[in-house]
Amino acid sequence: MFARALLPALLLLAGCSTADGPYPSKEIRLIVQAAPGGTSDTVSRVMASLAEGPLGVPVVCENKPGASGALAFAFTVRRPPDGYTIGHAPVEIATVRSLGFADVGPDDMALICMVSKTPPALVVRTDAPWQSLDELLDAARKDPGGLIFSNSGTGSIWHFNTLLLEQRTGVRFTHLPYGGSSPALVSLLGGHVDAAIAGVGEVVAHVQSGKLRPLAVFDEARSSVFPDTPTTHELGYEFGAPAWSGFFGPKGVPDDRVAKLAGAFKQAFDSEEWKELCLERGMTPVYLDRDAFRTFALEQSDFFAGELPQLLRMER
Amino acid sequence: MTPDLLVALRAVFELQTLGFLAVGVVLGAIFGALPGLTATMGVAVLTPLTFWVSAEQGLAMLLGIYAGAIPAGGIPAILINVPGTPASIATSWDGYALSQRGQAGLALGLNAWMSLAGQLVSIVFLAVAAFPIATFALSFGPAEYFGLALFGISLMAGVSGKHVLKGLLAGCLGLALATVGLDPMTAYPRFNFGIADFLDGISFVPVMIGLFGLSEVLTQISEGAGRTQTAQADAKLGRTTPTGEEARRIAPAAFTGAAIGTLVGAIPAAGGDVGSVIAWEQTRRLARDKEIYGKGSLEGLSSAVAAANAAIGGAMTTMLTLGIPGDAVSAILIGALLIHGIQPGPLLFQNNRPFVFTLVLLMVLAAVLVFLLGLLGARPLARVLRVPNPWLWAGIVLFGTVGAYALNNAVVDVWAMYVAGVIGFLLRRATVPLGPLVLGLILGPMMEANLRRALILSRGDWTVPLTRPIVLFFLLATVVSLASPFFRRKSA
Repeated sequence: MFARALLPALLLLAGCSTADGPYPSKEIRLIVQAAPGGTSDTVSRVMASLAEGPLGVPVVCENKPGASGALAFAFTVRRPPDGYTIGHAPVEIATVRSLGFADVGPDDMALICMVSKTPPALVVRTDAPWQSLDELLDAARKDPGGLIFSNSGTGSIWHFNTLLLEQRTGVRFTHLPYGGSSPALVSLLGGHVDAAIAGVGEVVAHVQSGKLRPLAVFDEARSSVFPDTPTTHELGYEFGAPAWSGFFGPKGVPDDRVAKLAGAFKQAFDSEEWKELCLERGMTPVYLDRDAFRTFALEQSDFFAGELPQLLRMER
Repeated sequence: MTPDLLVALRAVFELQTLGFLAVGVVLGAIFGALPGLTATMGVAVLTPLTFWVSAEQGLAMLLGIYAGAIPAGGIPAILINVPGTPASIATSWDGYALSQRGQAGLALGLNAWMSLAGQLVSIVFLAVAAFPIATFALSFGPAEYFGLALFGISLMAGVSGKHVLKGLLAGCLGLALATVGLDPMTAYPRFNFGIADFLDGISFVPVMIGLFGLSEVLTQISEGAGRTQTAQADAKLGRTTPTGEEARRIAPAAFTGAAIGTLVGAIPAAGGDVGSVIAWEQTRRLARDKEIYGKGSLEGLSSAVAAANAAIGGAMTTMLTLGIPGDAVSAILIGALLIHGIQPGPLLFQNNRPFVFTLVLLMVLAAVLVFLLGLLGARPLARVLRVPNPWLWAGIVLFGTVGAYALNNAVVDVWAMYVAGVIGFLLRRATVPLGPLVLGLILGPMMEANLRRALILSRGDWTVPLTRPIVLFFLLATVVSLASPFFRRKSA
C-alpha cells in the first residue's frame, strides 16, 4: 500500500531523467477510473499483468475513481505524453463531456486499442408476467409510466439504454436511479421495481440462479452467455449502446510507443487467460486497433453528444 | 451432512490453507489498524494474488483480511482516538475514555474478546437462520432504507452527551455536507463550486481521519500536553481480562450489539459503521447508568465492538444466500469467488455444501486467530502510549496523510482531511460533539436518495410508505427515540 502511495512521487523523480533510450525503460502506470474490485479494475489488472511480459517492464495499476471516470481521464490526459502513464478507456470517455462532468473526450487522447465489449440486457424477475420484450412493451403502452425500471445512475450507460428503448419504441417508463448496477439489480430482485437494464455480465449470475429472466440483449448478434435470448436487432428495434474497454494515453504519445503498447495488449488479448475472463464476466472479446478504435470512439462521442442531452432533458 | 463436514474439515485443516488464513489475518490487522487503509482496500488489492492458488486458500486469505481488519480498527480508536476503520467510530467513544483513565489494557482486551463474540454470534446466526435473514435483507426497498437512515439520524441526540443542542447543530452540518456532489436522482452537480473532484461528494474516510485524528492532535498541542513529554507515560496498562462480575454485566450488552450488528450488516449498503452506532445507542438507552456512556462504559464499548464485528457475518449471510453483496468487502469477495468458478447464491447451498461448510469453518478459525493476536498484541501495542507525545502526533499526521491519499489516490482528499481536522479542532474547543456530524455525513446520502426513490415509487404519495410494516417500525422507533428524553424528565 505504501508502495502504491509513494510510487507516484518516486516516478516523478525518475521521470526527470528519462526521455531517450529504448521504450519502455521503466515502470508504466495504468490509471483505472473505477474503484478496486469492479469490471474495469479486473480488466485493467489482468491486461496489465499479461502485457508485462511483452513489454518487459512492470505495468502498475492505480485507481482514481470519481465522477464516472472524469477525474481519471482529465488526470491522465494532462500527464507528459511519454507513454509511461496510460489509462483504461471505458465507454465513459465518450460520455463525460456530454454529461458536463469534465471537458475531456477521445479527441484529447492517443487511443491505443479496444479489447472488449459488453452488451446490455433487459431483465425481469422470473415470476413476472412478461415472457418477451413485446409483451413488456404492450404492458407499458397500456399504462404509460406505470412500469418502473431501476438503473445504475442517471446518465450512466445502462440508463442511456433505457432512455433509448423509450425513444425508439415510443413508450414511457418510470426511472429509478441507483449508484451502480449492483444495488439496481438488488432492487429488482427484492420486487421493488419491475425491470432493469444492466450489462450481460452483471445479470448472468442471477439468471443462472433462476431469479431473473432476460427478455432481450441490446446488440446485433446473440450473446454467448444467453444464446436463447433474442436481440433488439432481431426484434426489429435497431439500437443498443454497449459498454466497452480499451486503453489510451495522453494526446501526443509518439507513434512508435503507441504501437509498442498496442502490440503488447494484442498479445495479452490473444491469451487463453483473457478469453476465460471474458467468458466469466459476460464480455465479448473484440479487438480494435488504434485507428479503428479512434474512429469508433469518436463516432460514439458524437452519438452521445447528439442523444444524451436531449434524452436527459426529456427525463429531467 | 456429516460427509460434507468432513470434506470441509479436511480442506480447512491443511497447512497451506491455515498459512494463508494467518497471513490474511496479519495483513488485515495492519490494514485495519492504519486509518485510511480499509478492509475493502486490503481485500481488493490482494484479490488478484488469489487467482494462482486454490479457491479454499484464496478465500482463507481474503476472509482473514476481512476478519482481521475490523477488530484491528478498534486498536487506534482506543489508544489514540483515531478510528482505524469507519466501523470503529463508536469504539472510540468509550474505548479512548478508558485508555485515558489508565485502563487501556482492559479496553484492548475487551476489543479482542468482543470481536470474537461478535464474529462468532453472527456466524451462529448465519448457520441457523441464513435464509430468513437474507429474505429480511431483500425486503428492504427505498422506503425501508429511508426509515433505517431516519432512525439512525434520530440517534444524534443520544450520541451528543451533555450538549444536545450543539450536537444537533453538528448533525445538521453533517447533513449539509452530505448534499455536496451529484444529485443522486438527476446527476446534476450540487455545491461543488465547479470542482470536478467534488462531483462524488466529500469522501467520508479522509473527513473521519481529520475530524478524529488530526483534531485530537491539535487539541492536545493546544492544551500543552507536549510540555509534560508523555502525559500517559506513567499510565499502567492495567489488566486485560474483565473480572467475572464485569463479564456478567457486559454479556447482555455484547449480545444486543451482536444481534443488531448481524441484522444491519445483512442489509446491503448498511454495514458495521451504522450498526455499531445503533447498537451503542440502544445499549445506552436500556442501561441504568446512562451518564457514564461515552466516558468509559465497558458495556458501551462491548456493544459497539460486538456490533462492528457481527456485521461481517451479516454481510456474508446476504452474499452467500442471495449472491448479493452485503457491503463493499463482500462485493469484492463475490468477484474473487466467481474467478474460482464459485457462484454465491441459493444454489451454492444445494450444489456445493462442502464449500459452504469450509467457508463457515474458515470464518470461525479467522475469528479465533484474530482474538489470539489481539490478546497477545495488547501489551506491546499499548506501548504506543509511552511514545513521547510529539512523536505520536507526527505519526498520526503522517499516517493520516498517507491514508487519506491512498484511499482514492487523490490529493483533494488530503486537503479534505486537513480542513476537517481544523474544523474538528474548532468544534471541540466549542464543546460541540463530533459524533452527530459523522452520523449526518454517513446517513445523509442514504436518507435523501431513498426518500426520493420511495416517493418516485409511490408517485409522490407520502402515505404509501407508511403502509409497509418495517417502515412503520422504524418511524415509531424514531418517535420513541426523540420523545423518550422528555418523558423521562417528567417522571424524574
